[in-house]
Amino acid sequence: MPAFNEEGRLARTLEELASQLSSQLRRGVVGQADVTVFLVDDGSRLPIDEDAVRAVATGLRVVFARHAVNLGQGAALETARRLALQPRWQPVAGPFDAFVTMDSDGQHQPSDVLALAGAIAAGADVALGDRFAGGSDVPTSRRVLLMMARLFERATTGLNLSDVHNGLRAFGPRAIERMQIRQNRMAHATEISRSISRASAERAADDRLRVVEVPVSVRYTGESLAKGQRASGAVAIVVDLFHGFLFSPHEPREPR
Amino acid sequence: MMQAEITPAAIALVGLLTALFLHDFVTLARNRRLLLLQLVVFAIGGTLIVYPEIARRLAHFVGIGRGVDFVLYPLVIWLVRESLLSRRRRHDEQERVTELVRAFAASGAHEVVQSRDRAPAHSSGPSAS
Repeated sequence: MPAFNEEGRLARTLEELASQLSSQLRRGVVGQADVTVFLVDDGSRLPIDEDAVRAVATGLRVVFARHAVNLGQGAALETARRLALQPRWQPVAGPFDAFVTMDSDGQHQPSDVLALAGAIAAGADVALGDRFAGGSDVPTSRRVLLMMARLFERATTGLNLSDVHNGLRAFGPRAIERMQIRQNRMAHATEISRSISRASAERAADDRLRVVEVPVSVRYTGESLAKGQRASGAVAIVVDLFHGFLFSPHEPREPR
Repeated sequence: MMQAEITPAAIALVGLLTALFLHDFVTLARNRRLLLLQLVVFAIGGTLIVYPEIARRLAHFVGIGRGVDFVLYPLVIWLVRESLLSRRRRHDEQERVTELVRAFAASGAHEVVQSRDRAPAHSSGPSAS
């Protein structure tokens, strides 16, 4: 869970997540000891108040890391991904079964987190949230922007997804290792699509990833819309992708 | 013998070169090699401005119509290359900074909330990140 200047929204999101998980715990759907939130503060102006997190995230295991400077959502997700793969933070029972990414601004519903993790448990390697199938009340301007992004992704990655820039995604253990993110900012969504596209078209059938889309609901509020992506951001994404194309090695490499 | 062409444009350009060199002479006082290179490049530039006939003759010699094009073509190529190299350097620097910031973040990562039940479990669950 990346967080940048979220303040009160983060506390509400964690509280909701904790409450949702505890209700699932009561029903025996998940085991509490093994649900971990990797929270990365991406250089927020006011550092995240750990006491406030402790107060609201009742019963959740939260691993917290902070970027000294703001790098971008992609960088924060990559930090979380690497932390989640470190044996130090893995549950006693062994590696995680599923890795879910979600925004910390309250747009994403905690119940959808469990739905995505459930899709991974059911055999998918990648589960992508689809806000259009989930009955979200997507504003028209955002709908147009996302439709253009969808066409762009289809042309550049070959993947025909319904909702390409949804931060609610889940990966199985086979997939997460291949999802290294090098794009620090918002272009990471296209980079993930490209990794998924490459991995789901592997020549050997055993190496191919199984991708599913899961209906999710995204809540739009004045706050989230003001902080979210704009049309001008689309230009920055294309520029970042072009720089990545020019200057990054063709094959992603993990740092030594 | 070639004649010097002292036009108002030539005076302005040579003045600009001199001012730039003096500025760098003060601010880059410790970097003598860079200053020397700059002095050589500016001296060549200044000579070509005052004696444009040199550039004209060189241009005709290699088959280019105008002396100014003889200077401009390689300059544009050099500037484009320099711009790309500079962008690549910035990109590489950014990657290094990212890894550095991430390494600090990872070394300082800690559990904020200890779960109430950390006993070994039978099945592992999802992580939200």
